[in-house]
Amino acid sequence: MEEFEKTLSRQQAAIEAERCLYCYDAPCQAKCPAHVPVPEFIQSIRSGNLHGARTLLQSAHPFIETCGRICPEEAFCQSVCTRSKIDAPLRIRELHRFVTDSTDPSDRMELPQATEGKVAIIGAGPAGLACARELRVRGFACDVFEARQVGGVPSQEVSTHRYPREVGEREVRFLTSAFIANVRTERVTDVKPLVADYDAVFVATGLPSEGDMNVEGIQLVGVHHARELLRTMKSGAISGAGNRVGVIGGGNVAIEVASMLREEDPTRDVTVVYRRGIKELKAFKREIEEATALGVTYQFLAIPDKVVGSRHVEGLQVTQAHLCGEDESGRCRFEPLPGSSFIIPLDTVVVAIGQRVDEGVFPGLARSDSGLISVGDSMETSMPGVYAGGDAVHGAQTVVEAVRDGKKAAEGIAAFVAGGE
Amino acid sequence: MYREHDLSYDFLGIHLENPFILSAAPPTDELDMAIDGLKAGWAGVVLKTTSVESNPVNLKYPMMSSFGTAAHKLWGLGNIDLISQYHIDEICERVTTLKHLFPTKMIAASIMGSKKEDWQSLVWQLKKAGVDLIECSFSCPQGSMGEALGRMLAQSVEATEKVARWVKEAAGETPVLIKITPQVTDIVEIARALKRAGVDGVTASNSVPALIGVDVETLEPRPSLFGEGAYSGMTGMAIKPLTLRTIAEIARNVDITISGNGGAYSWSDAVELMAVGASNVQFCTLPMHYGFGTIRDLKSGLADFLDRKSYASPLDIVGKALKGIKGQEELVTPHSHSDIDVETCIGCGNCFRACSDGAHRAIRWDAEKRKPSVDDEKCPGCGQCMQVCPVNAIRMKEELDGKVHYFEFKGTR
Repeated sequence: MEEFEKTLSRQQAAIEAERCLYCYDAPCQAKCPAHVPVPEFIQSIRSGNLHGARTLLQSAHPFIETCGRICPEEAFCQSVCTRSKIDAPLRIRELHRFVTDSTDPSDRMELPQATEGKVAIIGAGPAGLACARELRVRGFACDVFEARQVGGVPSQEVSTHRYPREVGEREVRFLTSAFIANVRTERVTDVKPLVADYDAVFVATGLPSEGDMNVEGIQLVGVHHARELLRTMKSGAISGAGNRVGVIGGGNVAIEVASMLREEDPTRDVTVVYRRGIKELKAFKREIEEATALGVTYQFLAIPDKVVGSRHVEGLQVTQAHLCGEDESGRCRFEPLPGSSFIIPLDTVVVAIGQRVDEGVFPGLARSDSGLISVGDSMETSMPGVYAGGDAVHGAQTVVEAVRDGKKAAEGIAAFVAGGE
Repeated sequence: MYREHDLSYDFLGIHLENPFILSAAPPTDELDMAIDGLKAGWAGVVLKTTSVESNPVNLKYPMMSSFGTAAHKLWGLGNIDLISQYHIDEICERVTTLKHLFPTKMIAASIMGSKKEDWQSLVWQLKKAGVDLIECSFSCPQGSMGEALGRMLAQSVEATEKVARWVKEAAGETPVLIKITPQVTDIVEIARALKRAGVDGVTASNSVPALIGVDVETLEPRPSLFGEGAYSGMTGMAIKPLTLRTIAEIARNVDITISGNGGAYSWSDAVELMAVGASNVQFCTLPMHYGFGTIRDLKSGLADFLDRKSYASPLDIVGKALKGIKGQEELVTPHSHSDIDVETCIGCGNCFRACSDGAHRAIRWDAEKRKPSVDDEKCPGCGQCMQVCPVNAIRMKEELDGKVHYFEFKGTR
């Protein structure tokens, strides 16, 4: 599958860069969780100094190739671009992508000796790798423990039309070879054994378990978990989904899996079944646009009642909903319309209703009411020397937010180790 | 469907249907191009400079180069072109043909020579062909004709006066314009020499001698022909301010008719050139960039301007800005400071940064609201903030004799 979005040409990038107002104390930079120096790297595009632009990006952010492709700019930098008060915001993410696509990773790195201490990082996703890199830059050596594949969610679960496998692999290869002492394929579920061997521990395991629906028929053959299906397809294997697929959910994972199922087989019908309306979809705009372009269809205002079938999925019974005001959090409420049930004939149902917190792991770490690991301002947990970040702390979030957590934790760890000596 | 505004007037006794002339340059170097230009609506042409047979024209290609930015590629255009490769006999034929086809347009020709007999024979031949006006290039920055290499005739006051006399002597009743260069120590001295010589006017000015650039990858000059290049004559938007000063200096000091040339890209640029003393405006880079059809906007833009300002004729603009041009020391000294309209301000902070790093550190910055404010005590009203504001939210508030004035740019660009 070809990437949907093409890299800007040098001319397009240069012309777009000229639109930048080069704001003082720029809002785009402040809004970026990784604090990418946006106006400065755009100025470097304007001057033709692409390697300078690359160095700026690379210094701020370990996942620049990734974020150049999949960062939801509408939620961050571009949402506050001053230029939109004149006409339209700068295409910041695309300019960022132009830089990474036009240059090789800067090899002018100068790392200190890794003598400050030794840190264990549990989880090699964006938060873990960002923390490891930041610590290495600060003179720490890091061992990274990963149960599955290095790279985390983006490498394994983001569709190839937005984020080709080789891009993720290249980025992760560079990060691990340049910044990480050791990567161990090992599932860690308790930090206590590590605390003795390491100066500090960072827990960034994400939320590997998926949420289940408690409806009749969920055990039937042909019901899948969305993220599991994404991982299968991203790895290059066949999904095994049928010709009439219903995806239950309205978030990024639902849209992502629907897109990728169409991508895998363009003759297959893929319908996203969502309880609320089109405006309430939680997925990012670009993902919805791309899914629509791929031929994904929608059944809005449909509340799943049960999966229908004898042994194999034959359909999804839904009740029509109507929207009625907002709840306390401002979310749109919906109610079923009595007597409006109908069956959508399907042979496959994909459940994409979010991740599940696995409370059996990491005993001793304090958790919030929702079961996520609780942390303080420096990402420190309830256990001295143990820090945490990423989805395990915040629930599902973006790569750039995971990077912010990793950087913050590294700062906290560095201070903790220095204070302990 | 719409009535056309009458833009016509007399220039040195020649009827012009509007002030816009195609200058002696590539757009007038072929007969069919000159015809197309005149058909499109240009009021006249100055055919590209010709000379006598003894002067060979050895062109080097590529001759064009330019500089600018990605979005504005052509701020300045450079050429290492020379005069026309066409012989005077061919030019004379074209004059006759064009005059026949367009009896109401101004058909002019440009010449360049070295010896007295060359100049005069060129003039006589053109007169015989029925030319309306003769322009003499004293300022082609490339090559050299008679004078020392790289030196232009119009850089010598004596030579300028002497040659201008030869030309006018031969031209008799036919109007003569001398095209000069801005590249002199004192343009007024040159204009005075022309006045003494008795020519009818001056074309001010010409392309500006320049080195267009250096290719940073190869460190070769631009344009580069196998690694070597030459200085160019630069034209286009980049030189308009130079042309304005040249015209203004002549107009303020010498009573001589001026044909404006160099850097005009729009009707409003033409108005500017006329406001400092030009009686018409010649164009070359604009049609070389966007074609002969640009005449339509030049005409309608000027017509609308004249209507809005209640001017009857384009001639009413000529010299209107001159009374305001003074020496710096002659200007009044008001109390001024920057006046920022926070409603229009979009909060980019450019004014704050420019003032902080390049002016008087007189602008404060509210980081939370992203709004600037002016410290009137510190601000002398230099105006730098106004230049960098992308939305024109800043003007200078000036107080003089207890009355408040605002200094702001009201133009089109």
